[in-house]
Amino acid sequence: MSYNYDAIIIGAGHNGLVTAAFLAKAGKKVLVLERRQCLGGAAATEEFFPGFKFNTGAHDAGLLLPEIVSKLDLQKYGLEFIDSQVEACALQPDGTPLTLWRDVKKSQEEIAHFSKTDAVKFPQFCQHLEQLTKVLAGVRTSTPPPVKDLNFRDLLPWIKSGLQLKRLGKQDMMAFLKVLPMPAIQFLDEWFESDALKGAIGASGVTGSMQGPMASGTTFMMLYHAIGSSCGFRASKFVRGGMGQLSMALAKAAKQHGAEIKTGVEVKQIVVNEYQAQSVVLANGDELSAQAIISNADPRRTFFDLVGAPNLGPQFNRMVKNIRFRGTTAKMNFALSGLPKFKGVANPGSQLSGHIIICPSLEYLERAYDDAKYGTFSKQPSLDIVLPSVLDSMFAPEGQHVMSVTMQYAPYRLKSGDWDEQKEKLAEVIIKTISKYAPNFRKLILHQHLLTPLDFERDYGLTEGSIFHGQMGLDQLLLMRPVPGWGRYRTPVENLYLCGAGTHPGGGVTGAPGYNAAREVLKDLK
Amino acid sequence: MPNKYDAIIIGGGHNGLINAAYLARAGLKVLVLEQRYLVGGATVTEELYPGFKYTVFSYVVSLMRPEIIRDLDLPRHGLTVLPLESTLTPLSDGTCLYRDNDHYRTLRDIARFSQRDAEAYEDYGRTMLFMAKAVKYMLGIIPPDPTKINPKDLFGLAGLGKHLLGLSEENLHMLIKLMTMSSADFLEQWFETDVLKATLAASGIIGTFLGPRSPGTAYVLLHHYMGEIDGNFRTWGFAKGGTGAIADAIASAARELGVEIQTETAVEKVMVKGGKVAGVALKNGNEFLSDVVVSSLDPNMTFLKLIDAEHLPVDLLASIKKFKFNGSSGKVNLALDAAPDLKCMPGYGPHLRGAISISPSVDYLERAYDDAKYGNFSQKPYIDIIIPSMIDPDMAPPGKHVMSCFVQYAPYNLKEGTWEERREEFGDTVINTVAEYIPNLKDIILHRQVITPLDIEQTIGLSQGNIFAGELSLSQLFFLRPAAGIAKYRTPVKNYYQCGSGTHPGGGIMGAPGRLAAMEILKDLRKPRREGQ
Repeated sequence: MSYNYDAIIIGAGHNGLVTAAFLAKAGKKVLVLERRQCLGGAAATEEFFPGFKFNTGAHDAGLLLPEIVSKLDLQKYGLEFIDSQVEACALQPDGTPLTLWRDVKKSQEEIAHFSKTDAVKFPQFCQHLEQLTKVLAGVRTSTPPPVKDLNFRDLLPWIKSGLQLKRLGKQDMMAFLKVLPMPAIQFLDEWFESDALKGAIGASGVTGSMQGPMASGTTFMMLYHAIGSSCGFRASKFVRGGMGQLSMALAKAAKQHGAEIKTGVEVKQIVVNEYQAQSVVLANGDELSAQAIISNADPRRTFFDLVGAPNLGPQFNRMVKNIRFRGTTAKMNFALSGLPKFKGVANPGSQLSGHIIICPSLEYLERAYDDAKYGTFSKQPSLDIVLPSVLDSMFAPEGQHVMSVTMQYAPYRLKSGDWDEQKEKLAEVIIKTISKYAPNFRKLILHQHLLTPLDFERDYGLTEGSIFHGQMGLDQLLLMRPVPGWGRYRTPVENLYLCGAGTHPGGGVTGAPGYNAAREVLKDLK
Repeated sequence: MPNKYDAIIIGGGHNGLINAAYLARAGLKVLVLEQRYLVGGATVTEELYPGFKYTVFSYVVSLMRPEIIRDLDLPRHGLTVLPLESTLTPLSDGTCLYRDNDHYRTLRDIARFSQRDAEAYEDYGRTMLFMAKAVKYMLGIIPPDPTKINPKDLFGLAGLGKHLLGLSEENLHMLIKLMTMSSADFLEQWFETDVLKATLAASGIIGTFLGPRSPGTAYVLLHHYMGEIDGNFRTWGFAKGGTGAIADAIASAARELGVEIQTETAVEKVMVKGGKVAGVALKNGNEFLSDVVVSSLDPNMTFLKLIDAEHLPVDLLASIKKFKFNGSSGKVNLALDAAPDLKCMPGYGPHLRGAISISPSVDYLERAYDDAKYGNFSQKPYIDIIIPSMIDPDMAPPGKHVMSCFVQYAPYNLKEGTWEERREEFGDTVINTVAEYIPNLKDIILHRQVITPLDIEQTIGLSQGNIFAGELSLSQLFFLRPAAGIAKYRTPVKNYYQCGSGTHPGGGIMGAPGRLAAMEILKDLRKPRREGQ
């Protein structure tokens, strides 16, 4: 049988582009199909209002695998990182914010205003975090081993990670095993006393997840977000020109190696014959065949919408149905006529150049979760705010600014009403919350644009608005991701692969699922 | 010159007694020291109101290891376990979910709520039973230390790996889910009926400071599925005479094997000479010498109270200080003038011989937890009720009854007020909640005993009132219980051992820590091993 392509990739999210680039680089004939006009999926930069550009989903590429940047030579294709000097400015309801710098010594001075003992412990904490995350870094690029027919080749990368763990020494190795399932609050309570510090650092433990910081496994999430960071806060790197530039660079690299990328082309169906994927049918009726069909869509969309449940076994269908998505994140973008005046921020030029965090304590965060648990959005939400125009003038006209706010918790399933009707109320809660810390904020708003979990589902194809293609709970990781037993990028349908955040190691702009998937696909295409 | 013993066990709880019995069986001269006037620790029956016997702390039995019952011949020493035949979960609308030993009747009752759930219930029961059997393997082994590379530990890890890989792939995934999921999420995958999920989830939160939606609670669910009475899996029972009868039977077996038991003898310190245990010093100033000292108390007492810090490495002290207790349970024991009358099932009936679980919905349990996580006791608590006198008439005078109400959540650390000040308010909250389902309750109360987590700590020495001698959370299980490197019942001090619920495999009237510790001690002493040990 002759195929149109060696590989067709459905979806040009950053992971899809990574897979495309690596397959093309290996000499394969690759086609990428994207439903939207814009590349990058949730790692995109869009101009919602004339003159103002926004990072649609993710606003930070701190987690991107360094090996992707170097192997694809992305800098050559226009990728440039901006390291803000300030990592985070954690706003406090009554007074001076806590500023965390890339320079640990400077952070120490700031922390000392909140707690002297915390300031003393901080460098040790940063070091500890760095050690723990080093082990996780290796795990990110290893394909989960098959449980039933273990062989040396599949186990080798894990043995390496095991040795890395071993190298930590007995103390840290046990610490590693012990902290992964811990609640973030317990892990941080063991180190620090300052609510402000614990809130600022711990907030990343619940990103995208329907759990509060008192839940087991949130320490793992915190560590996952801190891979590659050496300053106590989660890893953070901005992209000059916006996250879209990262996707553009990936696309350029892929094209350079011969990949074809088509936007505005929707795949309607993956044609399966005798449990074997053969081709994709487009919205216009065209059918294109490939030896490998690789879906960057999340597992539920891939299996239920594109493949169709009748082509899969009942047990597999049940597992796909049981994946917990539970989107909890809303995103609000603002075009502003000037820089908001945050209380206590003396040097907006530097202090507002990183993440601005509203999460004054972990109890605040837990209470925000309580609302979501019973089906309403948080009345006092936790916010992660960035003002990319502070560091990069291309985002907004001179003197004006763009602000992107990631809000948690906004549960996909509401107890009463629906998102179309609740949207305005949520926008108001977000504006009110920011105004508490920046009284002049409301007056500066030129335009606003809110994406609820429902919008993420409808416009970006994220099931239930889950930004990670499924919760990253301890039971949905490794060999359990996306569903138990299918953690190796392959699926029960022969020739059909997954390369999105729904696979190991999970969400965030890491490129790791795409990178690993390409490796596995190449093994099979040989 | 005081008497010298081969081994002294500090604490006469069921694990301490079991440990003593096994050591004596191997020929050691053993002394058990108990600070209270009676043995049993949390496993006691006390007549606090004339004629009425309270199962003061623990109230049901199921996890007791059958090999212990066999080895110590406990039935001959008076242990009789009567089955607890049903669980009734009343709802606020005056109806209830009733599950009992009549399997088909139970399925019919569930089908009233959902036909699909009735079908899933069988499958669920089978799966949990299977998983419980798979995990039970871990209850019977000494946790290997993954940081060591000595043959024994590697062998242990390999054995564990082999056991786990022996499971089918599907069951291995199920095990991972059970270890990591919340009970609410886990049950969500099986059932749609809220009350069924709630009442099943309730057993996943007992003794923990976690809500049903907290990851890790599914494991506790399984922990409670491991019950085994007379080889009959998943059966809860009530010991005739209350849980105190279990302690009495073990004590009787131990005495027969030559163990000496002294009550009202509180230990002040473990004496260490030349890096080795020498004996114990009592609060009254006396001393007992011994080659081996075993603490059946919790890790906090064992490492931070009973022994001077100078004898222990700094790292260990630091990790024990981080060990989480987070007591979250209380109890209300009642003497009743007549039989309680349930709104949903009025009159006498077999349902009164089972458990009554106040767990009407998952949100109900979760809200109960919310109160506790911010430092208050639940305003609408989860309550697990049994009426011991219905099962064993000797527990109360004819026509009268005793009622045991296990309550969650009651956090040890209150944000406002102290437990002393708020004890009666807590008791009232519990009674008011129960009275919603048992309308005649307030009229028939003769006497009530309210037990707070502080009482549990002060009376029987469980730190922060944690009934499992330390939280059963993922980071405190197996080779991490109570801390890395000391999970094998030994301590850094030579011949000082631990055998309480704060060690693997944890709490409940199980006896496994006491038995496994004895086996390790005997290994160290290089005594000839007997058959079956």
